[in-house]
Amino acid sequence: MEKEYILHKWLNDSATSEELEYLKTSPEYNTLIKIAVISSGLEAPESNSEANFKTITSNLINNKREVKKLIPFASLLKVAAVLALLLVGYLYISSLDTEVQTQIAEKQNILLPDNSEVIINANSAISYNKKKWSQQRELKLTGEAYFKVTKGNTFSVKTSLGIVTVLGTQFNVYSRDNLFNIECYEGLVSVAFNDTLIKLPAGSRLSIENGVLVKHDISILSFPNWTINESSFENALLSTVLQELKRQYPIKLITKFNDVNQRYTGSFSHNDLNLALKSICDPLHLAYTIEEESITIYDKESP
Amino acid sequence: MSPNENICHESTFQKVYTSLNKEIWRFIYYKCGDEAQADDLVQDAFIKLWQNCAKTPIEKAKSFLYTITNNAFLNEIAHKKVVLKYSKSQPDKINSESPQYILEEKEFHDKVQRAIGNLTEGQRTAFLLNRIEGKKYVEIAELLDISVKAVEKRMSQALSSLRNEIENFKA
Repeated sequence: MEKEYILHKWLNDSATSEELEYLKTSPEYNTLIKIAVISSGLEAPESNSEANFKTITSNLINNKREVKKLIPFASLLKVAAVLALLLVGYLYISSLDTEVQTQIAEKQNILLPDNSEVIINANSAISYNKKKWSQQRELKLTGEAYFKVTKGNTFSVKTSLGIVTVLGTQFNVYSRDNLFNIECYEGLVSVAFNDTLIKLPAGSRLSIENGVLVKHDISILSFPNWTINESSFENALLSTVLQELKRQYPIKLITKFNDVNQRYTGSFSHNDLNLALKSICDPLHLAYTIEEESITIYDKESP
Repeated sequence: MSPNENICHESTFQKVYTSLNKEIWRFIYYKCGDEAQADDLVQDAFIKLWQNCAKTPIEKAKSFLYTITNNAFLNEIAHKKVVLKYSKSQPDKINSESPQYILEEKEFHDKVQRAIGNLTEGQRTAFLLNRIEGKKYVEIAELLDISVKAVEKRMSQALSSLRNEIENFKA
């Protein structure tokens, strides 16, 4: 074992000459040393160093070319991707409908792309597509709005209760719950309701209540009263009138009267709650009390 | 080679190649005995070094190259017989000896040469790195990613199997 240790020491060039001599005294180790010495004198074939380097560099040049080609292409792709995304985003956003909504006691005037004017009454909404407007004048309405349409191609107002179509006129559309009112102030309006089509000339009003059609010839007015902050009714259900009152004033209504089906003809102001309540209650022999924002309406005879 | 040099510079890369390519080539040759394969693996190793030039500091280039080529052999590459020749620079000590002795010596040399080709890949690589490349056990252990103890074992095994084979020839 000691000899083995010295052998390794010698193979690592750190054995002393005495140790080597000692090792050589063993014929076995003498042979090993001889083999080791002879092996040291051997050499591997000469490698083709320059040819290999050429292969390597040509390989690297090819790689480089690929890299050079790829980088501008990749950055171009990135730019293209961002542009495409922006374009898609823009197209998507511009294809979305424009929506205008009003809150309780709020009215809004808007101008459509063709300069047609819309006045939206409280708690109503319209939506239309700006992009397609030049080809198709069409909007959706929930609630009530007054339209002053400039002349042009067909202008349609779609509601859940029916479609109102005009060419260029002034008209008011009211579509709430089961009540569908159209008042035409100028020109001619056609109303599609269920499967029927009704032509409505200027100065007339169409009223559809719970699917029953009532046609009135009225209106000396040239615009709906609500646009000058007054709501007018003719033979309207009291509940409809009170609903409108709740839309024009942010109030809570408690009703304690017997005859729910009373009808009301008249108007109330949007600017003075007291006056408005009086206008509604007095003709119907009703009384009311105001407690902060809560209003109770009851029969006069039984307070 | 100053440690600040970057292998990504072509001139530096060429310097690294010049200083290491033959050593790496021989290392591969000791393993497989196939010159064409040694060429291929040297090329692969240096291409990989170039591709990783940014991550490989110049002082790590050598161990990087050895690791790459060493790993190439992990999946047992079929190897040819390693053929080594006498170094021309070997001092001719046997001149003064008798012709009989010279003949015997020559025979002995040939046997050693042949027997080396029959060693296992692990034994031969360690043995030749020590004998021909003059590397210490510590270096060999590092290059082959094994322990010094394992190098020692391979050396002992290599020497004794060489001796056995040579003595069998004699008999």
